[in-house]
Amino acid sequence: MATLLDIVTTAAILFAVSAGLLIVFGVMKIINFAHGGFLTVGGYSALAVTKLGWNPWFSLAFAFVIGGVCGMIIERLVVRPLYSRPLDAILATWGLGIIIGQGITLAFGREVQFVQSPVSGAVDIAGGSYSEYRLLLVGIAIVLAIVLGLALNATRLGLVTRAVIMNENLAKGLGINSGLVRFGTFSLGAGLASLAGALITPLSSVDPNMGVPWLVNAFMLVMVSGVSLVSLGVACLVLGGAQVLVSSWGNPILGGLTIVVLAALVLRFRPQGFARD
Amino acid sequence: MTAALEVSGLNSGYGEALVLRDVALTVEPGEIFALLGKNGMGKSTLLKTVMGFIAIRGGSVRLFGDDRTGQPPHRIARSAVAYTPQEQALFQDLSVRDNLQLGLRDRSHFDEDLARIGQAFPFLPTRLAQRAGTLSGGEQKMLLVARALMARPKLMLIDEITEGMQPSVIERLAGVLRGERDRAGTAMLLIEQNVQFALAVGDRYAVLKRGEIVDRGAVGEAGAVERITEHLSV
Repeated sequence: MATLLDIVTTAAILFAVSAGLLIVFGVMKIINFAHGGFLTVGGYSALAVTKLGWNPWFSLAFAFVIGGVCGMIIERLVVRPLYSRPLDAILATWGLGIIIGQGITLAFGREVQFVQSPVSGAVDIAGGSYSEYRLLLVGIAIVLAIVLGLALNATRLGLVTRAVIMNENLAKGLGINSGLVRFGTFSLGAGLASLAGALITPLSSVDPNMGVPWLVNAFMLVMVSGVSLVSLGVACLVLGGAQVLVSSWGNPILGGLTIVVLAALVLRFRPQGFARD
Repeated sequence: MTAALEVSGLNSGYGEALVLRDVALTVEPGEIFALLGKNGMGKSTLLKTVMGFIAIRGGSVRLFGDDRTGQPPHRIARSAVAYTPQEQALFQDLSVRDNLQLGLRDRSHFDEDLARIGQAFPFLPTRLAQRAGTLSGGEQKMLLVARALMARPKLMLIDEITEGMQPSVIERLAGVLRGERDRAGTAMLLIEQNVQFALAVGDRYAVLKRGEIVDRGAVGEAGAVERITEHLSV
């Protein structure tokens, strides 16, 4: 039972971390390698909330806003001038991730720090006890998936965004300002990454390189998902589940490699990954 | 009267190659203008240049009297221009309804306009939920025209809509376009290789050959058909 809960909660965390990357990839056709950097920004936003003695629940909204604002500034200054050169844009986001990490080291120091959790303690489930916060993450991930799904599929803005994802030139010709859609998407993606960073900090420590392993896993998950939130959810459950099984029955080092290795294998034999066609 | 579209001295092309040379034409409000020419003569390039998809190397584009030279496509489209490209013109994976919605500038008149446009294309209102990519070729073309009309445009730019269409559908389309022009005073620039359709629906015409306009006139003019046929055959 504990293993099953581990699988579901791990999938929920992975989904929260990857969702922003997926949306940015869909609209802009670039992988935002600064995603890990934004995630770290979120972790430190939560740390700031702890240090200021504010309510830890507030760290979620705080991280989302800080990340979103960082995303807006970076889109304008760094990513937008490189729209016509996607490869350079990807390299630029890579460098940006490094700069964010170094900037955080300068501001907060190199040492590992800890953040106060909004809920602590455990609940009894099926005879065992399980972390209340991890269960809460499942709820948050589900809400996130529903909100994103509705925003994309049931609003005018979502329709316009899907139009840009499918055929940007056609969308422009119909009067859609795709530059604005890109700006909004990148900012939203950065905000979501930062929110995810704040969500995972009660589970692990905060340090300037905390985003890197998450970035690698999120990247592989997006690669096997196409541009679909549903596929992403399935990928998180299957590959995240495999990670939990390998970690608990094998060893945690191998567990850390599981998603990357399996995703590479999936893409080798089924290039469309978990997407339907 | 201010022209709906006024192109003068237009040069444009891809990379090193100049495709359009010193092209000038005007489309008046309420006028249907047919631009004829064989493949590779620069017809589609002209529309893409007007829409702002291709950089202008010289000359100017004016819409309803305003200079729009060098403006981005979404700005051009928002000045009451509906552009129907020849290829990849539909969102194949979106529903018929979503495709029509994306043509709208103002969502409040969706139902009203759908009812009116649905009279010309009766299959549309009954198949709103269907994926656009699963419509037949002819139906996809009709959806394109319907989407353009949903924008309530004052100028329509239509790129070879009749290609691969059945004669009966072409006839219906001619009626729809003329009807819209008579009803709303919409100006239209049609790119065509189908001379019969172009002359049936158009008021004036021009022939584009290797990026230059080699002939122009009124559709009813004596000798027009012979000259056009000759230009398109050599």
